[in-house]
Formats: sequence, C-alpha cells, structure tokens
Amino acid sequence: MSQSSALPAEQYNYDIIRRFTIMAMVWAVLGMSVGVYIASELAWPFLNFDIPQLTFGRLRPVHTTLVIFGFGGSALFATSYYIVQRTSQARLAFPWLAEFTFWGWTGGVALGVMTYMMGITQGREYAEFEWPLDIAITLVWVSYFAVYIETLRRRTQPHIYVANWFYLAFILAVALLHIFNNLAVPVSLTKSYSLFSGVQDAMTQWWYGHNAVGFFLTAAFLGMMYYFVPKQAGRPVYSYRLSIIHFWALIFLYMWAGGHHLHWTSLPDWVSTLAATFSVILLMPSWGGMINGIMTLSGAWDKLRSDPVMLFLITSLSFYGMSTFEGPLMSLKSVNALSHYTDWTIGHVHSGALGWVALVSFGSFYHLIPRLWDSKMYSQTLIYVHFWLATIGIVLYITSMWVAGIGQGLMLRSFDDYGNLAYTFIETVEFMHTPYVWRALGGAFFVTGVLVMVYNMAMTIARRQPAAETQLSAKPAQA
Amino acid sequence: MSDNTLNTKQKTGVVQTTGHSWDGDLQEYTNPLPRWWLWCFYGTVVFSILYWFIYPSWPVGKGWLKGYGTVDYTITDKATGGTVEKKDQHWNTRALLLEHLSEAANDPKRKEMLAKVQAATPEQIAKDPQLMEFVRSVGKGLFGDNCAACHGQGGQGVVGLYPNLTDNDWLWGGSTDKIQETITLGRKGFMPAFGAVLKPDQLDDVAEYVLTLSNEAKPSEAADRGKAIFQGQVGGCYYCHGADGKGLASMGSANLTDKIWAIVDVPAQKTLQDKKAQIASFVAKGVNNTRIMPTWQNRLSPTDIKLLAVYVHQLSGGK
Repeated sequence: MSQSSALPAEQYNYDIIRRFTIMAMVWAVLGMSVGVYIASELAWPFLNFDIPQLTFGRLRPVHTTLVIFGFGGSALFATSYYIVQRTSQARLAFPWLAEFTFWGWTGGVALGVMTYMMGITQGREYAEFEWPLDIAITLVWVSYFAVYIETLRRRTQPHIYVANWFYLAFILAVALLHIFNNLAVPVSLTKSYSLFSGVQDAMTQWWYGHNAVGFFLTAAFLGMMYYFVPKQAGRPVYSYRLSIIHFWALIFLYMWAGGHHLHWTSLPDWVSTLAATFSVILLMPSWGGMINGIMTLSGAWDKLRSDPVMLFLITSLSFYGMSTFEGPLMSLKSVNALSHYTDWTIGHVHSGALGWVALVSFGSFYHLIPRLWDSKMYSQTLIYVHFWLATIGIVLYITSMWVAGIGQGLMLRSFDDYGNLAYTFIETVEFMHTPYVWRALGGAFFVTGVLVMVYNMAMTIARRQPAAETQLSAKPAQA
Repeated sequence: MSDNTLNTKQKTGVVQTTGHSWDGDLQEYTNPLPRWWLWCFYGTVVFSILYWFIYPSWPVGKGWLKGYGTVDYTITDKATGGTVEKKDQHWNTRALLLEHLSEAANDPKRKEMLAKVQAATPEQIAKDPQLMEFVRSVGKGLFGDNCAACHGQGGQGVVGLYPNLTDNDWLWGGSTDKIQETITLGRKGFMPAFGAVLKPDQLDDVAEYVLTLSNEAKPSEAADRGKAIFQGQVGGCYYCHGADGKGLASMGSANLTDKIWAIVDVPAQKTLQDKKAQIASFVAKGVNNTRIMPTWQNRLSPTDIKLLAVYVHQLSGGK
C-alpha cells in the first residue's frame, strides 16, 4: 500500500486547471444560451430576423462547438490535468506546453464559432472547422498528449489509476478521428474539399461523429467519473475487474458502431447491420461504467440525502445508463426507421449531453472548485437549486423531444383508407410546434441552473480566505 | 453469489481492495463482475448473431452474407395494370422500398378509385361524393408536397407573392379545366411598369380611381382624372383589366372591382393615403418575372394533375 496523505496544493500546477475551469463555465453559458435561442427559432421562426448570421444553420454549429468543445473540452482539460497530477503525484510536465494547450484550445473554439457565423464551414457535423483551424487543433492536441503522457511517465505511483486509462484512450482516439475525418484538399484559406466522396465520405464522417460521442463525450467523462465519484463518496471503486473489462470492451466496440447513423441511406445493408449489432453489444460495456459508479456508493446511500454534489454525480450516471440503453435501441433497423430524421435523435443526444456530460462535469466542478481556490463553496443551497433546475430542464427537454420525434415518425408513416399518406410534411411540422416550445423552456431551465452555478462559483472565489490569496499569488513564481 | 451478499461482505470488510491506492484514499475493491451484467452481455452477443442470420452481414470474399430474411414484392405495369415482376429477394432496403411502393399501388380500393378518376371528367368527379372523398385523400398529399410550399398548407397564399386559392377569385380562371391548364402549363404574370409613362400625380389619380372601383374611395375629381387615364390611351389599363375593371382570365389580369387583393395589400393599409401610395408605387413598377407559376407536366402525371385541379377547385367551395 502506497497510501500517502494528500500533498499540499503547491506541489501541483493548479493555475492551468483554474483557467480551464473558468473557461468551461464561460463556454457553458454562451453555448447553452445559443442553444436556447436556436430552440426558440425552431418554435418561433421570426427570431431569425432575416439576419444570415443568426439563422439556425449558422448558429447550430456555434451551439454544438461551444458546448462540446468549449464547455466539454475545457472541462476535460481541467479535470484531466487535475487527475493526472494527483493520481501520479507528479507536477504537470512541460508547463509552457500546457499553457499552449490552454490558449490554443480557447482561441481555436473562439475563432471556430466566429467563422461559422460568417458561413465558413466544412459542413461536417461536429467537425465544421475549416482546414487552417483543423491544423491548429491538431498541434494543440499533440501538445496535450505530450503533457499528459509525460506527466504520467513521471508518476511516483507504481500503478496507473483507471481514470487515466480513459483519458488516454480519449486523447489517442480523438487524434485519430480528427486527423482522418478532416483529410481535405484546400482550395483557399477558407474552403476545402473532403478527400473522400460519396458513401465513403459519409461513412468517414459518422465514424468520426459517433466516436466523438464515444471517446470525447463518453470515455473521457467516464475518466472524470472514476476519479470524482469515489473521491466524493470517500469509498473505493466497486470493482477493479469490471473497470478493466468494460474499458477494453468499450474502446474496442465503439469504433464499429458509427454506421448506425446512416441506416436507411445508400450505406450498404451489411455495413448497417454490423453497425446495429455492435451498438447492441456496446450496451453492457457502457453500463459497466454506470454500475461501477453507482455501486461505489453502495453502503453509503445516505450521502444522496446530505450531499448535493453526490446527487449530481449519481443522477448523471442514471442519465448515462438511460441514454446508453436508448442508443442501442435506436440503432436497430426497425426502430431507426421510425426515429431517423426525427427529433427523437435530438432528444437522445441531449439526454446524454445534458444528463450525463453536463451533470457529471458540474458535480466534478463542485468538488474541484473549493480545492482549486482553497475555500468552501459559497452556498450548498444554491447547489441544490442548480440540481433541480437542471433536472427539470432535462426532463422537459427529453420528453418533449420524444413527443416531437416519435409523433412525427408515426405521422409520416400513417396511411388512410386509400393507401395514401395521412399527413403532409408540413402538418408534422405544425404538430411539433408545441413540443418545440416545451423544449426551449427546458433549455431555459437548464441555462438558469448554470447561471446559478456561475454565481455560486464567483462568490466562492471572491470570498475565499486571504491565506489562499497569498498562495495563489505565489503560483506564477513556481511555474 | 448475489449482489446483496457482496454488499454485506463489503460492510464486514470481507471484500478486499486491490492493494493499490492513489491520491490519498482512492482504492478499488476486488468484486467480481456482476453476474446479471455478464449474462446480459452474453445475451446481446447472442442477439447480434441472430440478427446476422436475418439481415445481410459479414463481408465474405467479394460478396457478403445475405441473411435468411426475404422481401416479396410485385411491380405493376402502370399502362396495363398487370403484374410484370414478382420477386423473392434476400432482405435489402431497395427491395423493401419496392415492396412498400407496390403495396400502396396495389391497394384495391385505391386502384378502383383511380380507374374511376381516369375515366371521369373533372366535372363528373366534382359531383360524385365518393370520388371527392378520394380526391381529398390524394389531393392533400399532392397539394402538400407540391403546392403548399408557395400557396400555403390550406391554399391561402401570401398577399403580394402567391395567389390565394380559397377565395373564389381567379386570375387565370377558376373552372376545373382552367385550373388543370394552369397546373399543366404553368403561368407567368405580367404588367408593364408605368413609372416611366405616368407622372407621379397621374399615378396617384389612377390609384384613386382604382380604389373607387371597389368602393374603397369615394368619387372625386382626382378619381375622374384617373378614370380618363385608365380608360384612355395614356394609361390604357383597360386593355388588360377591361373597361369595367373586372379583369380578363385570358390575360391573367386582376379583377379590381372586388375587395380581394392579390398583390397590393390594400386591406392592411390604414389610411386612404397609404392605400393610394401602395397602389401607385406598384403601378409604377409593374410585374415582370416576379409572378411565375412553374409547369408541372414533367413532374406529375395527367391523372395527378386532374386530381389536383379538382382538389384546388373545391378549396374555394367548388363554384
């Protein structure tokens, strides 16, 4: 047993983690507000105001980029830099390179969303950055890998903690996905054409798109979960064996499943079948993480009553379990025939993105913030307020998208006595107006919760002890 | 061993940790894989193998395993109505589409009705309640997919852009024959621009006269001057709109005497001055290449067009 007491904060580079944490919250507020705005545009189209930069088509990638790469990415940088240092008991390697990852990532996201509003885009979902930004991001990512692996190499612990396996798999896989999906022939500074064409291009894009979900939004956040859940619960991880088995099964199986985004298209039927089945086999490996997280709390369930942070973490795992069950279900050919091209997909994504990714990040941040700023959270009550606003928001969002998506799917396939389609497309759009309003409301709840958190965080930082102040000001000298 | 006993053992300290620890208190128990988890995992594998037997799956050599699932479909010859092809194929999405299409096309009720529609004239269809029910069933989809983008889901149109089809005021004629012609060949609205011909005060006078035609304005000296321009050689408006201002379906010119406005949104203007200004500015610009209805004969079958004509006709009450 190499048990050792927690080392003083000065031993670690917390400065970079603080900055990524703050940026994660800045991106969260911006990105989720844009989300509420475009959700409102779908309910009330006049909100376009006929301004091209404000139309749904331009703002949608702004929303996805801000929340996935801005908020999600910064949260992952922050937590991974925290976890790799603390579980290796080593200071972050190459501080100047870590510094570069912060400015590179933050600048990349900012430039990216500005170019989207100007209409500069590759038109590849979740990979809209044009080629110059793609190259810049690749440099940032290679630097991230170097910092991470070198810190891990300098560890003073004999073993590598499970959270680090997930983060490392995420860093490697995202590098692979980013590079291959963005292979393109530039024709000018702002325009390029994909190296692939036709169904191969679609296949490459969804190999990327699905694994962006798999490695960016699942594996990496499982890494986060594997540190913060046992830490917050003060209990050992439920099963070491389960963590090994589900880790390898997850990263092996995810790579095969991307084709399920292309059911009922020109994708060959056999590819679509394999994608469906690998998605089904992926169910239990995905649930492995949920079981390991929730069972870690076994024997200490009372913490759910007394600790709002635990409430965030365990609820995020429940949503994770729900959306990873829904995913394989929707990847079956017959279910997908109904769900494809409907808002059921949007609801599914958000049960994962809001329910899992965002809640586990908030929970982790509530654990992290007092430690980063050497203080106590300003208000426990506000954490509860945030939790309930977020949960109500998610439930409104998911259920309204079930209604809109399943409803539209059923309308589009219903026939009258003469074998004619019973509904026109526009009737299905009219039907979706009400659920769209509820969805926008759900989003508004969620953003309000985030604003409560930002306030709580700002007050925590503003009211921290003077002793912590001196510690902070001593930081740069060390770096 | 159930999960419950595991929990008890955890509490009593029987379950060991791996002996590793990180960051002070991070440890891992050596619990085995939950049984139910493992069996569910095997279950998904078995499910997938069955799935591979039903659907096309693994690539083998230059082909792929076709699976045991089959799709039956028949293709009907549109001209003769006879079956020309019947196939049992291994499951594939193309065959499935053909199966669905042939199912719809071979619906006996639909076939019977289509045969009646083909044999009847639009007038005969309009008088037959049973056929009209069929027209509304087919027409809704045809109209929704082809016409609603411009004319609106209910055919109410957009003032200034697309004619309202529900108001019984027809630029190109409202009989089923005329509507059929409009859909088949398309239409192109035209009105010359008078901005270069008439002075601003003359445009104003014409506008005032036009408003008197539908009792929007009271007779006045200005309206009389406008009438002279409308009816005379200076403006020559009567060539197309007729001396009485009721329009000519052969020219696609608007009836100016009813209170229905297709282009200038007169009812939306509050004051007479605004109404006049709107009309005068429109007369100055005219209509050129802005009001075009495309031809549908290359996209829809004659039967579909006939059905649509009757459908559109009944939108305005079928007069």
